[in-house]
Amino acid sequence: MKKFFALLLAVVMVLSLTACGGSGKTETAPAAETAPAAETAQASGTAETAEAEAWKPTKTINIYMTHGAGGDTDYMGRKLAEALEKVLGVSVVVTNVTGSNGATCMQQYKDGDTDGYTLIATNTAALTGNEATGMVDFGYTAFEPVAVYGMQSGENIVVPANSPYNTLDDLIEASKANPGTIRYGISTGGGVYIQACVLTNIGGAQFNIVDVGDGAARLNALLGDSVDATSLPYSTAAQYIEAGQLKSLCTCLSKAPDLLPDQRAASETIPELVIDTEYVVLAPKGTPANIVKALNDAILEATSTEEWKQMVNDYCLQNPFVLNVEDTIANLKEQRDLFQSFVPFL
Amino acid sequence: MILQGLSAVLQPMTILLVAIGVAVGIIFGAIPGLTATMAIVMFLPVTYSMTSAQGISMLMALYIGGISGGLISAILLNIPGTPSSVATCFDGKPMANKGEAGKALGTGVVFSFIGTVIGIGLLMVLAPVLCDFALKFQAYEYCALAVFSLSMVIALTGRDMPKGLISAVIGALLATVGLAPVDSKPRFTFGTYQLNNGFALLVLLIGLFAISEVMAYAESVRKNQGYTIETNYKIRGAGFSIKEGLAQTKNAIVSALIGVGIGILPGIGGGVSCMIAYTVSKNTSKHRELYGTGIMDGVVASETANNATIGGAMIPLLSLGIPGDAATAMLLGGLQIHNVAPGPLIYQKSGEVVYAIFFAMVLSAIFMLIFMLFGMRFFVSVLKIPKNFLLPVIVVLCGIGAIGNANNLFDTYSMVAFGLMSYLLIKSKIPTVPMILGFILGPTFETNLRRVSQLASSDPFYRHPIFCVLIVATVLVVIFSTRANLKDARRAQEEELAEMEKMKAAGSDGE
Repeated sequence: MKKFFALLLAVVMVLSLTACGGSGKTETAPAAETAPAAETAQASGTAETAEAEAWKPTKTINIYMTHGAGGDTDYMGRKLAEALEKVLGVSVVVTNVTGSNGATCMQQYKDGDTDGYTLIATNTAALTGNEATGMVDFGYTAFEPVAVYGMQSGENIVVPANSPYNTLDDLIEASKANPGTIRYGISTGGGVYIQACVLTNIGGAQFNIVDVGDGAARLNALLGDSVDATSLPYSTAAQYIEAGQLKSLCTCLSKAPDLLPDQRAASETIPELVIDTEYVVLAPKGTPANIVKALNDAILEATSTEEWKQMVNDYCLQNPFVLNVEDTIANLKEQRDLFQSFVPFL
Repeated sequence: MILQGLSAVLQPMTILLVAIGVAVGIIFGAIPGLTATMAIVMFLPVTYSMTSAQGISMLMALYIGGISGGLISAILLNIPGTPSSVATCFDGKPMANKGEAGKALGTGVVFSFIGTVIGIGLLMVLAPVLCDFALKFQAYEYCALAVFSLSMVIALTGRDMPKGLISAVIGALLATVGLAPVDSKPRFTFGTYQLNNGFALLVLLIGLFAISEVMAYAESVRKNQGYTIETNYKIRGAGFSIKEGLAQTKNAIVSALIGVGIGILPGIGGGVSCMIAYTVSKNTSKHRELYGTGIMDGVVASETANNATIGGAMIPLLSLGIPGDAATAMLLGGLQIHNVAPGPLIYQKSGEVVYAIFFAMVLSAIFMLIFMLFGMRFFVSVLKIPKNFLLPVIVVLCGIGAIGNANNLFDTYSMVAFGLMSYLLIKSKIPTVPMILGFILGPTFETNLRRVSQLASSDPFYRHPIFCVLIVATVLVVIFSTRANLKDARRAQEEELAEMEKMKAAGSDGE
């Protein structure tokens, strides 16, 4: 009896810790006021930079993760948190706030505390894709981007191994010859949907586009002969390609992953078809520039280790890809402009 | 390879982690509001730093413990600890009311173990064959399967068919809130982004069963209770005799097969398997009128099926890399993080890990059996705690569970709202269980119906034999259940009339 209560209590305590993390949606009104203040501080010149660079966290940093545990975005975020703890000397806690391809979390924390202890970790396809498809009405400019810190192994356009098509051109030509007969599996609203829209509207493909669902469901449909072609994360398709059950026509990254250099890129056929999904850390709008800079420096340092390189090589099949603040913003802008150019036919 | 797998699991550290995993899983399963999925979510990051055998063994232990633990609160409190044990309440709680809490728990635990073992057995032996079968299930087949499962609602509700249907429809309607499947258009969100995600099954479940149970109790708290609480539960062994156990053989095997069958099909899960197994068991039984009054058969059907679903769900996960529900989706992530890629090559590339998983599952099942049988006397003593103290604690735990679902306070408000709704429904004698089925299957039906409509132009329905069989089966189930229900209703009415006449006669005699 006592034991049972002790257990109950223990569980309550453990959970209340998590719960506290979750209820961190505190008063956000002052954010708007601090934003101009931060800008003026920045504008008032370099006199303050000595002081500014001295920003060091003294308490726990909370990273709100837009995607669920078990996925690649979560894994990378947690690995980054682990590495950051060593550099910063404070705890870095990752909390998953999931839903709507990350939109729930971003909406909830975009106006969060601007003291540098509240950060958001997500991927760029969710950030720019949700804006392009109209799921949310804000993009990266609603945040202070901190750093792009990795590149995904990408999505590949795949067909069954016994299919007569060997390149993306074959597939598109065949669909033009017999419009509406090639079933192309997608999940509406996400990156794969954007991809299919580009294939149709820019590439001129005439598929019968059918909604199938997430990556696992698309794999299921392709194996079960419910679709003729689809797009899968490389990590999902790899084993089937190796086993000779599927073949990859191309990757949708701008160039093949560093550790798999032999793949063709979709952009060789359709220049606009580039979906570079990167992992990114954001701070709520109005977080002072010196704090953003300090966090970015910490991320650059944390990801410069051999251990990080090994992890990224194994998990993403990529070399480390970490950008400073200016490059991060430029990179996000480029990706947003590209995605926005698709808006008319999404 | 088999020996490598065995030796990876039989390390002291791994055994310890499995034991911890099972214990934590049982606690998460037993507490309404905390589920097996949550236990896995919480511990998944912890396993990142373990070896693959350790990490995966622990996740399996959490999964098996979590699914099994749900029966405790279902039987003792009439609140299912997880969606998978909804049907355990039907006969588990009446048994406890009759003073047979120990027997109900023992039955649940032993048959959970049997279900798990049957599931693992089929997983080990038949995985490749069953995978081919699972791949035949695409949009058409799912669409028909959802309709077929929904038709079980009619059989489930018994005499009060219209009220059961009302409940199922409300469930299906609640599931339409949020971004629509296929085209992601927001529906019934009233402009708040919080509603974009729709309602989580967990939140609905706590609202329907836990909150309303507390409110119903609050009604009677000041009334003098007519019965005394039996505090002296004698539990010997598993609480039931070997003979009673053997009499359940057929029921257990059928339920286990239903559990495995539903487990293999991605996206349906334990919440549905326990209800379908219960319904099938009831409708094929010789004493169907006793179901719901507190007989072992009901507990056996529900608990065997939901645990057999575990083995079933692991089949497509390991052999195809396709997760069947939220919990197995977490496990997929856990495997990938340890560089084990589920799929056709898993036996060749990570054979020792696959066997480690099998042994970890067997070990977890054994730990589960031991912990729960020994723990039973402690669990039963929960009933000795005055409900005035117990229920508020449960409400708090439910609130925490609802927040923990997605770290979102909004879910707690929804939970309370569903509690109020459920209370009103219970007051109007509308059963809430069909709502869960409607809530789970409504979206499956809608999503796949929309997909079918996209496919229909190049892929007509008569090319899908499973689809046709399921539709015919649905029609038959509806006709037969309706007839049986009407007969039951008529008989009950006649009995009532006879009773009234007898009373009248007795009354006039007295005068």
